[in-house]
Amino acid sequence: MEAMDSKAVQHDVADSGQVEKDVLAFLEAQTKRSWDPQVDLFASGGLSSLFAMQIVVHLERTYRISIRGADLRLDNFRTVTGMVALVQRLQGAR
Amino acid sequence: MTDALTAARTMVTGLVGEQAEGWDRGGVLPRELLTKLGSAGYLCPQVPAAHGGLDWDSARTGRFTAHVGSLCSSLRSVMTSHGMAAWTVDRLGADGQRAALLARLTGGDLAAVAFSEPQAGSDLSAITTRIVRDGDSVVVTGTKSWSTAAAYADLIVVFGVLDDGGAGAVVVPATAPGVRVERIGDPLGCRAAGHADVHLDDVRVPAEHLLGGGGQFMPLLITTALAYGRMSVAWGCVGILRACLTAAGTHARTREQFGKPLGGHQLVARHLADLLVAERNATRACEHASLCWDEGSPDQVLATVLAKHVSATEAARGAAIAVQVLASAGTRDGTAVARAFRDAKCMEIIEGSNEMCQLLLADHVLAGE
Repeated sequence: MEAMDSKAVQHDVADSGQVEKDVLAFLEAQTKRSWDPQVDLFASGGLSSLFAMQIVVHLERTYRISIRGADLRLDNFRTVTGMVALVQRLQGAR
Repeated sequence: MTDALTAARTMVTGLVGEQAEGWDRGGVLPRELLTKLGSAGYLCPQVPAAHGGLDWDSARTGRFTAHVGSLCSSLRSVMTSHGMAAWTVDRLGADGQRAALLARLTGGDLAAVAFSEPQAGSDLSAITTRIVRDGDSVVVTGTKSWSTAAAYADLIVVFGVLDDGGAGAVVVPATAPGVRVERIGDPLGCRAAGHADVHLDDVRVPAEHLLGGGGQFMPLLITTALAYGRMSVAWGCVGILRACLTAAGTHARTREQFGKPLGGHQLVARHLADLLVAERNATRACEHASLCWDEGSPDQVLATVLAKHVSATEAARGAAIAVQVLASAGTRDGTAVARAFRDAKCMEIIEGSNEMCQLLLADHVLAGE
């Protein structure tokens, strides 16, 4: 687990391209389909609320951030691009 | 660290003593009991030490919850609701809110969560309670139903819809003008857990009571809050099964019919095996889910629903078996197995009914596992 995490946390703020790649890989592994970084993941026919929580836990563990309070808003999770911005902002604030 | 768990178990065992039956029949827990456990941090053991909590992990909290559940499911239900309130404050609150509120929730004040409404049970997206921002305050209006522990609560965490369409959780003091807490008489199970309907009529509270400023994504808000409750219910069901196993085992060893102990009759012996399987199944499902929580694994989300579903159904099945083994001795209301029978049935309904859990588990399969 350490080895897997280390690539993401070597730097204080992970490279946005790397975060995007990682989140897309996580989505694909969990849903067995590929996603566009801009697509609305929770629009009708999209992902479930349980999956939203899985993403939160995944991002918290991978990037050693804590997603709380007002950050649990939909805009931060609607698209992969939104999640990348959230990760970078929270890592910057650490 | 194990000593902390032993101390907690010993304290609760001493405080409950032989009183669970009386509390069940009377429908009330002594406030003093709840205050004592609350100020020791035992009603929400996962609160971080920085906020006055015990900082326990999910595994230890679970083992403790099972112990409380084996003694009295009403008390365990209060723990579940209070613990969910603390968890919600911890996840949603800004730093200042966490500091102020968690100190109260580990200091003897009691809290409850209020999700359900007359028209929003399993479908919580239908919540209509309104939270309207108005200058330095927010105004809350709506009706919440079946809020566990609300009859004892000093603070009620109310989930609602904000004026801008987002969701929010607001901490409402039970004494605020416009709040009316109406205890539900004679619930089927967990009779002393203080279930109540909460009527909120233009309740004005300071804007700081809106956790994290509000505006969260409703499904995420609810899933997050419920996750803690599901773990708590799941471990509580393990406790129900352990109480049933003890009662049925003792009875089968000591009660004689046809010239030998009941356990010597194969059809009764099979009931004991079934009960043991139920208890072990539920324990393993809970241990796995707690491990996922403690490792921060995304698998915790599914494991939590699975644990809740396995434990609740096993408890309902196991409690029915225990009543069957005890027969007439188990049909007197208030006895451990009679309480288990009623309490376990309610656990198949609360925090996601069997059917809602099955839909969530099926969704996981349909999404490609």
